[in-house]
Amino acid sequence: MTADIIVHNLHYSYPPLTPDGDPVPVLNGVNLEVQQGEFVALLGRVGAGKTTLCMTLNGLVPHATGGIFRGEVTVLGLNTKEHPVADMARSVGMVFQDPESQLVQMRVEDEVAFGPENLGVPTAEIEKRVNWALKAVGLADYRDRSPLLLSGGEKQRVAIASMLAMYPRVLVLDEPTASLDPEGKAAVFNVLSDLCSEHQITVFMATQELERIARFADRVIVLHEGQVALNGPPAEVFQHVAELQAWGLGVPQLVELGHVLSQHTGQSYRFTSMSDAYRQLRRQARKVRMRKSQGPFPPPPSRAANPLAALSQIVVENLSYTYADGTPALRDVDLVLPPGEFVAILGPNGSGKTTLAKHFDGLLKPTAGRVLIERRDTRTTRVAELARLVGYVFQNPDHQIFAPTVREEITFGPRIQELPVTIASQRVDDVMARFRLTPYAELPPALLGFGQRRQVALAAVIVTQPKVIILDEPTGGLDGRSRQELLEVVASFNVLGRTVILITHDMRLVAEYANRAIVLLNGRILFDGPPRALFRQPEILAQAGLALPPITRLADRLEAEGMAAGMLSSAEFAAAWQARLPVKHKRKKKARRTTGKESTSDAG
Amino acid sequence: MRADFNLYVRRDTWLHRLDPRVKLAFVVEATALLFLWPSIWMAVGMVAFCSIVLWLTHIPAVQIGRAWRTLAPLMLMVFVLTALFGGGPGQVLFPIGPLKVTIGATYRGALLATRLLALALIFFFWLFTTDQAAMVRGFLALRIPYDWGLTLALALRYLPIFAGLFQQVREAQQARGLDLEQRSFWQRLNAYRPVLVAMVISALRHSERLGWALEARALGTRGVRRSVFRPLRLRGIDVLVLIFLTLTLIGGITLRVL
Repeated sequence: MTADIIVHNLHYSYPPLTPDGDPVPVLNGVNLEVQQGEFVALLGRVGAGKTTLCMTLNGLVPHATGGIFRGEVTVLGLNTKEHPVADMARSVGMVFQDPESQLVQMRVEDEVAFGPENLGVPTAEIEKRVNWALKAVGLADYRDRSPLLLSGGEKQRVAIASMLAMYPRVLVLDEPTASLDPEGKAAVFNVLSDLCSEHQITVFMATQELERIARFADRVIVLHEGQVALNGPPAEVFQHVAELQAWGLGVPQLVELGHVLSQHTGQSYRFTSMSDAYRQLRRQARKVRMRKSQGPFPPPPSRAANPLAALSQIVVENLSYTYADGTPALRDVDLVLPPGEFVAILGPNGSGKTTLAKHFDGLLKPTAGRVLIERRDTRTTRVAELARLVGYVFQNPDHQIFAPTVREEITFGPRIQELPVTIASQRVDDVMARFRLTPYAELPPALLGFGQRRQVALAAVIVTQPKVIILDEPTGGLDGRSRQELLEVVASFNVLGRTVILITHDMRLVAEYANRAIVLLNGRILFDGPPRALFRQPEILAQAGLALPPITRLADRLEAEGMAAGMLSSAEFAAAWQARLPVKHKRKKKARRTTGKESTSDAG
Repeated sequence: MRADFNLYVRRDTWLHRLDPRVKLAFVVEATALLFLWPSIWMAVGMVAFCSIVLWLTHIPAVQIGRAWRTLAPLMLMVFVLTALFGGGPGQVLFPIGPLKVTIGATYRGALLATRLLALALIFFFWLFTTDQAAMVRGFLALRIPYDWGLTLALALRYLPIFAGLFQQVREAQQARGLDLEQRSFWQRLNAYRPVLVAMVISALRHSERLGWALEARALGTRGVRRSVFRPLRLRGIDVLVLIFLTLTLIGGITLRVL
């Protein structure tokens, strides 16, 4: 049986960005095959060429993009170079990252019918296909709804259904879950998994969702420097922890834990899933008779008490906000934020997170109650004045980028603040160096990749040195390293005593960085306290549709074996696990370490 | 934040279910009658008729009220300006400086304002009861090329999205200290420049991706005749309404000519 997708020695360069520039090479000899009914995940850094590779599979590259294309891409026996996109569309479905730009109708059923109509499918047959496709994505009751009014996850499922109705054998998806909340992500992955197993549809999906890849994908392909660097089942690929991390890609948290534990204890730990990790650790705990947990687990040193906790920088009193159409968004919110906190605002989409944050820089004015920023009432203070105190980095970097060059973009804030030119240009240079944007200083920001545009947006806010910085979903669609770099900048900003407010769905990030978590549900505060305390409240997590990071779940399951519950990071887990190991075992290990492994001796 | 240009109100009435072509025929005929008959009574009659029709469609009173409120200043302006500057024959009611307000001009002002209201209500009936897909299908059934219909549908579909985009870009710029609350018109216009640039960049990205998405949905497949998911068919009630429309049109023209 021939493979559904065959990519042979594919080289591709985009046309030059500027009239006198060179073509931009992206793919550099890609070889891969995908069989019918396989669920293949494509992993790679931001800008590694994942989108480009996806777009070669239905011929958008090179038919719509131009550029230099060498090698062969054959999908279901059709050479994409010889067949126009609309012909390929008969058998290859393509779902993009942004649901807004792929839904074109005003009703869900019209949306799903649009593809079959274009293929000239008879009316009665279209009806059948619409029914089937909507049922397959679990939206059978949504036929009559407007796609505009659906949630992100629902929109993406409509986009998938509208491809399914064309009866494709191959479905290509480019980061379809990057902007979805956990519930939306889970729904999309479940649908895709069913399509593979029940309908033998081949799924090829570019994504950064490491945890879900490990659970759902049959195979992972890692794209690095324009080539396929790793290719195999998730359990196998993710064992290359050192390479993946060196390439700037993360690994699932449990795989990382195995790696860290191996380094700490000198034994070999390899976890492929939650149950596997649990079984292995439980077996070990029982075999060596671990010491029981010794009282409450001490908080790690990085989370020291905030010396400014008695002060109040942001005060929210009795805040309610109602949209012009009468929809209540916030109800009776009370909150005091001292300076220097790292606050995570959590909750499902539509729970009021962004609405609350927009009150902190005066973009929204309270319907009732008030908000004070450093004792200034936002109702009577101009947004421009509040912007000097509060920096806001929006979810989509393209909404705030407008200048012709990166340098001008970053200079905008200091110029508006009327800083002396020498100070302003010094600050701009510093910030550009810190974000490694100096080489691109004179390029138009619109030409940079998504990760870099996000950095430009953040740099342009940080350069004004606000006292509070708000980040709205800053890590969506970023790879391991870009995420890490961004958060390190934010954390170093926080260390200077400045406040960070982070709107996010990423619980791993909350666990590793935040010292306070605020959970919103239906416009009210459901929880306000340290993340560790939140992680001990399963009913609140369930209500807000939040899932614990895998490592915290594993520690909680191992509580009966003497493990301290409420672990927040791999390092914390490894340290706690090691502390529970019997002394004899530890001594043996120490002896071994002194003979050779110096690099890990600090771990004990 | 929730800008929406879609006026369609989902209800299950026989007026909603009418074929979009029949509704379009009503719009054309009612407009024709309105202009055929330069009488204030015709305009008032049409306002009354449209109000009854709107009442039958179960559109919430709030929505109709909003339509009236939007129109009120425009009607008032048309009335006052025509009365003041219309001149025309007839007895002078009262002079204002060099201007003379005559009975003729006042009547014309009232006629124009009422006509405007009647015309607006006719179109509101159409927009309130016809969803955009049906509207486009109606145009297509009248042999307007598919590409035009699709362009119209996309424009209607993306208006609210671009309005939302404008709002988001504006907020993002304001949050960076851009002062859009400045006083003079030119200062404000100048301040909006960065917003517009960012907006255009976003819109271009958006439309590039939209183009890809349309191709991926097999738009423009060679050698294929597009099929239609929900073809339009005239039903009994549609035919009845069409007969009624034809009779009133013939009656109207006859009365006017005689």
